[in-house]
Amino acid sequence: MRNPECCEVMTPHEQRLFDKMEGKEDRFRAGHSRVFTILESFEGLRPRIDVERAKYFTESMRATEGQPLVLRWAKAMRHIAENISVYIDDHQLLAGRAGAQGRYGILYPELDGDFLGLAIEDLPKRTESPFTITPEDARVVVDEIAPFWKGKTYHESLNLALPADVHKLTYDDPEGLHSRFIVNETSSFRSSIQWVHDYEKVLKKGFGGLKQEALEKLAALDPLSPADNCEKRPFLEAVTIVCDAMAIWARRHAALAREKAGVETNATRKAELLTMADICERVPEHPARTFHEAVQSQWFTQMFSRIEQKTGTIVSNGRMDQYLYPFYEKDMAEGRLTEDSALELIECMWVGMAQFIDLYISPTGGAFNEGYAHWEAVTVGGQTTDGRDATNDLTYLFLKSKREFPLHYPDLAARIHSRAPERYLWEVAETIKDGSGFPKLINDEEIIPLYVSKGATFEEAYDYAVSGCTEARMPNRDTYTSGGAYINFAAALEMVLYNGRMKKYGVADLGEHTGDPCEFKSWDDLWNAYVAQHKLFLKTAFMQQHIINNLRARHFAQPMGSTLHDLCMKHCLDLHTPQIPEGINLGYFEYIGYGTVVDSLAALKKVVFEDKTLTMAEVIEALECNFEGKEDVRQILRNAPCYGNNDDYADTIARDIDQLSVEYGARYSKDLGMHNDVRYVPFTSHVPFGKVVSATPNGRKAWSPLSDGSSASHGADVNGPTAVLLSNFSSKNYGYRSRAARMLNIKFTPKCLEGDDGTQKLVSFIRTFCDLKLWHVQFNVINRETLLAAQRDPEKYRNLIVRIAGYSAYFVDLSPDLQNDLIARTEHGTM
Amino acid sequence: MNPTDDTNGNGIIFNIQKYSVHDGPGIRTVVFLKGCPLRCEWCSNPESQATRIQLAYNTGRCLGLSQCVRCVEMCLSGAISRGEDERIVIDRALCAECTRDCTSVCPSNALITYGVRRTVREVLRTVEQDSLFYARSGGGMTLSGGEPLMQGDFALALLREARKRRIGTAVETCGHVQWETLDEACRLTRTLLFDLKHVDPARHEAGTGVTSTLILENFRRVMEHHPKLHVMVRTPVIPGFNDDEAAISAILDVLAPYPHVEYSLLPYHRLGTQKYHFLGREAPMGEVKLDDKRMASLSRLVAARRG
Ligand code: SF4
Ligand code: SF4
Repeated sequence: MRNPECCEVMTPHEQRLFDKMEGKEDRFRAGHSRVFTILESFEGLRPRIDVERAKYFTESMRATEGQPLVLRWAKAMRHIAENISVYIDDHQLLAGRAGAQGRYGILYPELDGDFLGLAIEDLPKRTESPFTITPEDARVVVDEIAPFWKGKTYHESLNLALPADVHKLTYDDPEGLHSRFIVNETSSFRSSIQWVHDYEKVLKKGFGGLKQEALEKLAALDPLSPADNCEKRPFLEAVTIVCDAMAIWARRHAALAREKAGVETNATRKAELLTMADICERVPEHPARTFHEAVQSQWFTQMFSRIEQKTGTIVSNGRMDQYLYPFYEKDMAEGRLTEDSALELIECMWVGMAQFIDLYISPTGGAFNEGYAHWEAVTVGGQTTDGRDATNDLTYLFLKSKREFPLHYPDLAARIHSRAPERYLWEVAETIKDGSGFPKLINDEEIIPLYVSKGATFEEAYDYAVSGCTEARMPNRDTYTSGGAYINFAAALEMVLYNGRMKKYGVADLGEHTGDPCEFKSWDDLWNAYVAQHKLFLKTAFMQQHIINNLRARHFAQPMGSTLHDLCMKHCLDLHTPQIPEGINLGYFEYIGYGTVVDSLAALKKVVFEDKTLTMAEVIEALECNFEGKEDVRQILRNAPCYGNNDDYADTIARDIDQLSVEYGARYSKDLGMHNDVRYVPFTSHVPFGKVVSATPNGRKAWSPLSDGSSASHGADVNGPTAVLLSNFSSKNYGYRSRAARMLNIKFTPKCLEGDDGTQKLVSFIRTFCDLKLWHVQFNVINRETLLAAQRDPEKYRNLIVRIAGYSAYFVDLSPDLQNDLIARTEHGTM
Repeated sequence: MNPTDDTNGNGIIFNIQKYSVHDGPGIRTVVFLKGCPLRCEWCSNPESQATRIQLAYNTGRCLGLSQCVRCVEMCLSGAISRGEDERIVIDRALCAECTRDCTSVCPSNALITYGVRRTVREVLRTVEQDSLFYARSGGGMTLSGGEPLMQGDFALALLREARKRRIGTAVETCGHVQWETLDEACRLTRTLLFDLKHVDPARHEAGTGVTSTLILENFRRVMEHHPKLHVMVRTPVIPGFNDDEAAISAILDVLAPYPHVEYSLLPYHRLGTQKYHFLGREAPMGEVKLDDKRMASLSRLVAARRG
């Protein structure tokens, strides 16, 4: 502690920053020296683009034109496995990377190769998330890779396939290089939405075992059936090829490990390398026998999956504390493993993940995922397939690792259910208090009944794994779709105000002609106009999705992912097939700007139609000049009821808006053969979406970010965290099943969480979150930096409450002097 | 008034604060009642002192007279005039008889009133919204102030209604109240937060305007008549008033016979100074700060004596 004299609270996360500033060694370094050393070897390095995956993929695809796509893909995978450079990093205990050492990203030209020329010039200059590329690699991209894909990429097909009325709300230019950020398609910057493999299958059967299954199925095909021969045979052959590819790739690592061991002078490292060589010879081809083998097998599988396709936000890790536990338990019992050595292996995986960057080469993709974000979720806790609590020693080890090892990866997700043990919630709460924002919480009590209602069995639903940012997957039952539309409903609102137009796009007629808003006589007129625009956007999104669903299978195959899926193997169909019998296709579309729209409608309802403080014309005049010289109008609007305060006035509007979406989804998802349900999870896209929306009636200035997920507008939730949860609850339509994830972020001041008493209160808060059947919540513990930011930008932080016994006030209302005092004291936890 | 049906009874409150975690057990909602018999120099809620509704002006939020003159136009008594730096000046003496709601025209909530009249039913409706959180955390409603028992009937009615709705309760008192009211509150509440600021009557009077006599007498009677009640005693540690070992030791002596009573020190902070300015007053304590070292040594003293 900085000043041990005084009763202070720093989050361990802050403590670490201070230690670093003072040049002190991280207090956990001693216990984790291997991973710290690896971390320091790449921390802060600018990521580079590695072109090998794209190069070998293209080489193979060039040679197999005309053959069934799944077979071509498998051959390409084998070609990559045979040729791509293999690496074993210094100090690492796990072998396998998908590209060069340091931080790196790889290319998927089949997806969006038409952006490549542009991107190679642009990426190093990009302000958010820049990448470097060597001149030789740049040449390979421009001369060898890009030309082959010209006219063949998924993105070009989609651009051509969209009807004019859909295209104009999707893209800003005829080539579809730039998004309009209105009904934004996301399928062209990832081959599928987020996904989780059934890793347990690899650990238990090995790819050798899975290949054997495919061979048996091949032998059992009807030799005279054209369907068996034209459809099933190529699929099964592809499975055998890709299983071979996995073994080839692993054995090349074994050879490299032996080679390195041969020249290694340090005896300890030499022994490590020889062990690694043995393990890479065994897995993932054969079943894993030890914890180390299991971790290596999983790592090979997920790294190769990254090579196979660009899965949205990167393929997730599934329920690691469940499928690794038998290996852990056995090794511990037999004395092969200690808690520390298990932790070291796991953390070797974390630092491996941290180096792989989710590279988006299209400008839209880049804007969606600022700061190199990736979400390869690791799920802990939850329930067993028969509905009992699933926590075990590994669960606690993962939580411990998150507290002690300062890394954003993996994205740790803790499942919460009504009978979660107190110890589990306690440790989850302690980990959150650490201040890095992890784990995020996902609620079994919402997801399991919902998934059962969508057609899953209880066993499948109980066994879901968190996937990507907030989703839940059943790796053998659900089948995926392409990324769905991200819909800017704040643009729908703007179109209500300007009769189908937007300031950003001038005279272009984009929306419905809902008339001159100054002629609206009542709230009903306004609401109906919004409904009309809302429905147009939904129709556009669903048409997009319809086209995408059918287009996708012509461009992508995923033989390895399909090998791991029960239904794909049963029906001999690639996972990209639009309809897989018995599958449950869980897709979604995204509502962007929820708080912004709700607050804007609530403000107009109250100020214009009820209190009549302002006329619609006055409001629009102020919006048109972005409130320049109209601060009074802005304040009046802003002080109307807002979503996020457990205020019925705003929350009722929020629920009505949600209902428009769930109703539409319930009615028209059938046309798509999927569940296309409403979700509120923006990544960082509420920022670029805000950049096309002019000033809004909630007092938001033009081009500034929209509200985030199902959270309140910036600073609008002035009643504290309980009200935020309750608003979220009140605005949901529990009578419908056509709903997907809702993301909710909540800020806490360290003082509220101080000591055991604070932890206990957080545990109660989490239990109430569970009772309320909300989908997701993630906490941020406010630190000094937050307060400094609040001083600079009071508008955004007007909800920040200083809570001290018997006293409370808004931080932004304090004089600068008192604010400074509090900033100094935050380190002491008085806030 | 019929004590079983007094939900239409009303009183003046100045805030309802959700998610309070430092004012009793669990997650709580604090209802701040207006009015206090004490005038502590260090009060961090100066808006709590007077029982009447008061006009407050937050210069930081005011848009400035070149942007907005709504309140100036609204006021017919000449109480609001144009001051320097674009700000208004309020002569509160002229507001006494006024019934015009000048705060309603202020776009930015710079001009507000401290205090609003609410019925028991209205208060409990808001409090009950968080009942799930109370149930999970062992929390509930805390009556604070001011001195909540100064509006005795209202406070007791709130406690009764909370009981009926199965909401846990706590009362925060300065102790300087009628014994009958306090006695009844102790019967109704689950937790009592009792402030002891100084034992010495003269020192107490110098800092708060009243002697400690009634407070200590009431404390003793609470201990005697409600031996099973969950009581938490707190002392705000104020520089120059009681931030010395003698003062705290004397309080510890009072508490010595009652080991079941929880005791804690609340370090002085000057975050209330802003609110004095909103009310057009100077903060009596000025810029004085509590010395961290002193506070730490007093905490050690308390830890040593109460374990
Ligand atoms: S309360 Fe009445 S007299 Fe006082 S400032 Fe407001 S309008 Fe003027
Ligand atoms: S009405 Fe409000 S914003 Fe306008 S001058 Fe008066 S105090 Fe300032």
